[in-house]
Amino acid sequence: MSTSLIPPESLARVGEILSEPVTVLIDQREAQRYAYAVGDLNPIYFDEGSAQAAGYRSITVPPLFITHALVRPKPADELRLDGLYEDTAAVSLQVSRMMFGGEEWDFLEPVHVGDEITGTTRLADLDQKEGKKGPFVRLVRETTFTNQDEQVVARSRQVGIAR
Amino acid sequence: MSQYPTINNVQVGDELPVMRKSASEAELFLYSAASFNPHRIHYDRSYAEYEGHEDIVVHGPLQGSWLTQFVTDWAGPQARLVSVEWQNRASAFVGEELEFSGVVSSIDETNGSVQIEIEERKKDGSLLMPARATVRLGGS
Repeated sequence: MSTSLIPPESLARVGEILSEPVTVLIDQREAQRYAYAVGDLNPIYFDEGSAQAAGYRSITVPPLFITHALVRPKPADELRLDGLYEDTAAVSLQVSRMMFGGEEWDFLEPVHVGDEITGTTRLADLDQKEGKKGPFVRLVRETTFTNQDEQVVARSRQVGIAR
Repeated sequence: MSQYPTINNVQVGDELPVMRKSASEAELFLYSAASFNPHRIHYDRSYAEYEGHEDIVVHGPLQGSWLTQFVTDWAGPQARLVSVEWQNRASAFVGEELEFSGVVSSIDETNGSVQIEIEERKKDGSLLMPARATVRLGGS
């Protein structure tokens, strides 16, 4: 049996909120900048008439935009050498590398420009697995996105692989 | 007449039109800016190489947004994306031609949705991202 890469105090955090809920106003220009940067020029993101003809209350946003809308700006002098900010939602593990494993999304209600979206992130799952290249940790952070009417609009599960 | 698939005319095995994407330095920079992502591997070649990457790395979530576009372009504006999931198996680099392909794998007539199995591959055929999406199609 290989040694544990997950300290007991980290395992005890499963289910815990990793970062305080953040609420943002879904801004039309910011969402459209995202759509341009992705190259997705669907008229439902730009034109009120097209969005309404497609059954939306008003202009909607690219599905994954909400996760970026929630990014909290921080001072540039807090950037590390790699250009990233210190991960304040980090979970302590006995590993040297954290890789991006993938994402899973459920979309439950439409998101419109002008909505107020709150994102809350929990540590959903943490377990050690045996791979071809030795043991690794699969870490899942789940974010629940709710709107101003308390409806859950989306859920995302971001999978990190650490070894 | 709608040009988009409906639950009445979609069939298991239907292929989505192939979508090709590639991102230049400027496009990757724009995505970093639009997503407020200052990670150096996405704009600083020598730093990316220092971290062991072959070149400037294409953002994972950018490929995620290409994936949702691949599905919504096919399904049309009346359709609703229900879920999407993907695994990042390897890194894509600046300027590389990337290809999205997909096939309808199952149909649920009770709620009008279809499941699609999707792959993003490099030009050499290597798999970057296996993915799956469920979309509720628009009215017939």
